[in-house]
Amino acid sequence: MRHLALLLVLALAAVSGSCNRTPPADNSKKTVALVLKTLNHPFFVDMRRGAQEAADRLGVTLQVQAAEREIDVDKQMQIVENMLQTGIDVLAITPSGSREIVSALVKASKANVPIVIVDTRLDAKAAAAAGVKPQTFIGSDNYEGGKLAGEYVVSSTGGKARVGILEGIPGHETGDSRLRGFRDAVAKAPGITIVASQPANWERDQGFNVFQNMLQAHRDIDTVFAASDLMALGAIEAIAAAGRTGKIRVVGFDALDDAKKAVEAGTMAATVAQFPYDMGKAAVESAVKILAGEKLPPDIMVKLEMVTKR
Amino acid sequence: MKARRFGTVIGLLALCAVLWALTPHFLTVSNLLNIAQQTSINAIVAAGMTFVIVSGGIDLSVGSIVALAGVALGVMLQGGQSPFIAVPGAIAVGTGCGLLNGLLVSVGGLPPFIATLGMMSVARGTALVFTEGRPVSGFDEGFRWLATGTAGFVPAPVLVMLMVYAVAHLVLTRTTFGRYVYAIGGNEEATRLSGVAVRFHKTAIYGVSGALSAVAAIVLTARLNSAQPIAGMMYELDAIAATVIGGTSLSGGSGSLVGTLVGALIMGVLRNGLNLLGVSSFLQQIVIGGVIVGAVLVDTLLKRHRV
Repeated sequence: MRHLALLLVLALAAVSGSCNRTPPADNSKKTVALVLKTLNHPFFVDMRRGAQEAADRLGVTLQVQAAEREIDVDKQMQIVENMLQTGIDVLAITPSGSREIVSALVKASKANVPIVIVDTRLDAKAAAAAGVKPQTFIGSDNYEGGKLAGEYVVSSTGGKARVGILEGIPGHETGDSRLRGFRDAVAKAPGITIVASQPANWERDQGFNVFQNMLQAHRDIDTVFAASDLMALGAIEAIAAAGRTGKIRVVGFDALDDAKKAVEAGTMAATVAQFPYDMGKAAVESAVKILAGEKLPPDIMVKLEMVTKR
Repeated sequence: MKARRFGTVIGLLALCAVLWALTPHFLTVSNLLNIAQQTSINAIVAAGMTFVIVSGGIDLSVGSIVALAGVALGVMLQGGQSPFIAVPGAIAVGTGCGLLNGLLVSVGGLPPFIATLGMMSVARGTALVFTEGRPVSGFDEGFRWLATGTAGFVPAPVLVMLMVYAVAHLVLTRTTFGRYVYAIGGNEEATRLSGVAVRFHKTAIYGVSGALSAVAAIVLTARLNSAQPIAGMMYELDAIAATVIGGTSLSGGSGSLVGTLVGALIMGVLRNGLNLLGVSSFLQQIVIGGVIVGAVLVDTLLKRHRV
């Protein structure tokens, strides 16, 4: 069993070589923690890039951690608890659960670590009940984004369409707002019917399966709105598998690189662009302002844009 | 047996020593309590898994039972039931799922892998149907004591974990039922021929696993202040890993709860340490995988030398 001990020592020694530890001696060097939902998604990878750029420019140490899976809010709580142990100065976080994460943020508040919420809002009631007061929220208005997508569908179809919707994980503020915005926008056009709306949990393979099933049940769907590009890209594959490429209008959300390519190739009609890079940048910039004692507005909105074929 | 259990403890201590050397944040009272708290849910599930694996079986449904029992608990609490009814109610749901697993294995003659794989899907689906996919959240402070409360300086989830292990350890080592768990895992046919009601005991073993999954669900629900139908995914793998790192043989017949607890702590300490060190989350998965495989490899090598 000495082998096991040796193995652990080796594994950790190997890891410690590549980790970025906070230099304890330099007190002027502050640490900003950025806790993401996951790093398996290009959206959050871009966000980290933006945050890193700002951190390098402003001379703070950035610690980025994420759960393996986007929906694993308990793991995200553990990460927050663990990072608080290392004496971080500001906590920026994209909550995996608008209500659930509040318990972990209570611990941050108790440790007097200021909180910056990025991309997904906290549940206002749960946060207020627990006495958690984030310094600011940085993100795009998902409702406005959904509305933008809805208006695009209305104008590009002349107000006549049969729409299938791919939802994110049920109960997530981000997805719910996008869908509300979309529904409100298309409700103004009586010729547009939403024939089916099913969750595909933000995932590409589920987007494929769910849309394939949807097509089985509703052969007349001519437009699909997916609350995220990964699901939209899955739907495009399902459309190709059904031999109907080009006959169904696909509208996504996020403007991932793959989605932009699909728009250029004509397999996807449009996608709503968010700017995760800017969000990450703004998160670190805000953190630095908080450290300097500046007061921030409650909401810092990052722009949105509709990407269509040039 | 003794030497191996000792070995796992040495592994844990070595890991702690390395982390202590690498970061000043590791060996603090608040961080150690933190680890104990984070380990509690996996450890409780793994305690039930130990019964099943020692008896030569496997239970893939624990994560889904965590979700289903949690959701049942959440719905009862929101419906205005007192925790004194909702908590036993959730445990009944978990135990029921476990007993059904046990019946499929013992009376139905299904391989445990298949029976519990089926339950994994059915329980998850039921939890989703029950809640229409939405989390059930917002419980009163009395119930949330299970996550936020402390007894002295011991956080409530840790207290629950220690109680579970104390009782389970006594059951496994000091009762006839416990001896039959080992006997069934060692040689089921011989156990049956010597007059033991194998079917009854096997059913009960899966019942224990289901019940403990429900206990974990209660702690998790209190911790998140929310019961999520998508909770508990991959818990089965964490529980199996903790059990096997703790020296329980996947072929059944040997193992101990002390080992499993140490196994769960090794995983908890490792995850905590990797967070403290700021290791990238991709690299973390590699290290965790390596440690699991390494630990079991050492175990296998030791066994080969002993025989």
